[in-house]
Amino acid sequence: MLTNRRTLLAGAGALAAGRAFAQGTGAPIRIGLLHDLSGPFAGAGSVPLSVGAEIAIELFNERGGVDGRMVQAVAADSQSRAEVAINEAERLVSQERVDVIVGVYSSAHAVPLAQRMQAQGKILWINSAIASAVLKGKHFTHVFRPTVHSDQYGEGSIEFLAEHCERATRIAPTQFKLGIIYEDGPYGVGVATALEENARRVGMPVALKEGYSATAPDLSTLVTKLRRARPDAVLQVGYNPDITLFLRQAKAGGLRTRMLIGHGAGYSQIDRLTETFGAEIDHFCNVDPAATQMLDPSRLTPPARELQQTLLTRYHARTQSNDPPTHASMGFNNTWVFLEHVLKPAVREGGGSIDAMRRAALGVDIPVGGTIQGYGVKFNPPEHEMAGQNGRSVAVVMQFENARSKVVWPTPIAGGPPVMPLPAGSPFALR
Amino acid sequence: MDPFLLEAIVNGILLGGVFALPVLGLNLVFGVVDVVWLCYAELVMVGMYCVWFLYTQAGWPLIAAFAACLPVVAGLGLLLHQLVVRPLLSSPPITQVLATGGVLFILQGGAMLIFGTDFRSLGVEMPPMEVGEIFVSGTKLIAFVAALVGAGLLWTFLKFTYVGTAIRAIARDREVMPLMGVDPRRIYLVASAIGGTLAGLAACLLVVQLDVHPFIGLSFGPITFMICVMGGLGNMLGGFLAAFLMGVIISTGGFWWNTEMSYVVAFACFIVVMFARPRGLFAR
Repeated sequence: MLTNRRTLLAGAGALAAGRAFAQGTGAPIRIGLLHDLSGPFAGAGSVPLSVGAEIAIELFNERGGVDGRMVQAVAADSQSRAEVAINEAERLVSQERVDVIVGVYSSAHAVPLAQRMQAQGKILWINSAIASAVLKGKHFTHVFRPTVHSDQYGEGSIEFLAEHCERATRIAPTQFKLGIIYEDGPYGVGVATALEENARRVGMPVALKEGYSATAPDLSTLVTKLRRARPDAVLQVGYNPDITLFLRQAKAGGLRTRMLIGHGAGYSQIDRLTETFGAEIDHFCNVDPAATQMLDPSRLTPPARELQQTLLTRYHARTQSNDPPTHASMGFNNTWVFLEHVLKPAVREGGGSIDAMRRAALGVDIPVGGTIQGYGVKFNPPEHEMAGQNGRSVAVVMQFENARSKVVWPTPIAGGPPVMPLPAGSPFALR
Repeated sequence: MDPFLLEAIVNGILLGGVFALPVLGLNLVFGVVDVVWLCYAELVMVGMYCVWFLYTQAGWPLIAAFAACLPVVAGLGLLLHQLVVRPLLSSPPITQVLATGGVLFILQGGAMLIFGTDFRSLGVEMPPMEVGEIFVSGTKLIAFVAALVGAGLLWTFLKFTYVGTAIRAIARDREVMPLMGVDPRRIYLVASAIGGTLAGLAACLLVVQLDVHPFIGLSFGPITFMICVMGGLGNMLGGFLAAFLMGVIISTGGFWWNTEMSYVVAFACFIVVMFARPRGLFAR
């Protein structure tokens, strides 16, 4: 796949200016799309996130928009830099006159953006940035996040290990040592904190917990320290290229362990990881919301099933990807929830005002199985500690095998038990 | 001695080898031309893309891709000098820095337009060396040896050839050497080409260790500048030694404290050096 910033912005521009005007009746409804189309985050999931959102808007317009009024996307590139994200959001709001910004990949961007959008009384619809710190204790009224939050990553990872470690490795959870390494932004810190808290809750010892800069040129000392700490499982929270740098140096540095678990972002780009490491990443696990193709279609409602197939067909047509990354599902799913369940009723019943959108968002009530990622949607009210967070979002643990991912936790929806410990053929397996 | 500490020190020395070549190139250009190439790390990025493209897309043997990379980046260094630096030689330093900074963004943007934002991997690796409990990356070791050989060749060239002597003389006294019959414009060109070649060599060593993407320069560019200043801007031996010193500081700092703190320690050392020896640790 060769996707560059020009292509993406041009694609979004075509979305904005093309069929929408030709077919629409009435003024188009403008929304801002803010993603990292360049810089390190672009290759770590932000581009699939934006492509998913574009497909959702394209489909929504093809189905008639809101009673003939088309949605016009105004795309912006936050360039993997927080200050650019803030400036672009400001431009979208003040110059492009949008009332809603959809997207946002990085939690480091989402934290200041959420404050600003709330202060300006505009809607921020976060499709990806998962750090709990974005919403926790803030009581925002104009910021919504349909996807999972970092506390759920910590819970998923630790519950999964606690459930399987004794059966698979004959080590009790209270003896099963963890090595937690994380990029030092809000995303990494948020997930790592949740991992540590959940480990403490189940009595699982943390042998090493250490942060690093995602742009660090060398992580070999971290590998050395992990070898000294001898964790039974290494839990990494990272973007890219820090993940590939770590894995490459871990292999060269002789790091051996029983399980390696990633937590979204770079670990959800399975095509990229496979291109670099081939079968060496087989049986690694990853925690994230489920990419739609991992879910049994029969567990989804018929409309969600139809959307699932549409996304998979169109995403493949655009990118030739064999296993669309989770971010593609997140971009499509969460944008679709906004368009179909918030924008449409807000325009019909409240003229599309910001207040009408806010009311519509708080009224969304999608049951489990009603979205292409399996989870339902019901946003926490402003008095909730995590106001604006989807209270029905679910993170799953998936395991890589032959360049594909399969769900291995929660057990009731898993395709089977995980392969654990890492088999002897893995260069990362204990010998 | 704790074998893991020993491993961290060895890793630090090898990391110094990674920093050493770009530091040498940057110092050579600054010492001779008196202009900081702010886009130096982006020249390395272009070289990395060159190797990646020739090896993985054009199907060239790796050695041939490496060999082609050197003249390509050397040519880029020449172009940079002729088109951007030469017209600004008599301009204030801030103008020169901003101009080469502009080239940085042009190269980043150009790479993004041509190759996209994906991370590109060469998929080449060497088996690690295992000595007792210590693991040493084979790839890093080869890069380290190559850096030493490259530095040795540069030293031989500067020490034992007429052009090398002229380069050193220009670096010592830019005003007097033209009176001795040395054409500074020619020397500037040669220095820029050598600076580019060293960036190309650094690219060959880095592309087997790191994924290449348009913003890879952010990973090692800032630390390269810091090492140059720490060793004495324009002082090649000083920069070379400072690269290894900084590598060991980062590695052992990470071992004793943590990886985040290692860079804090490195920057703290840098600030202390600047207070104690403002012209650099090894300035004469």
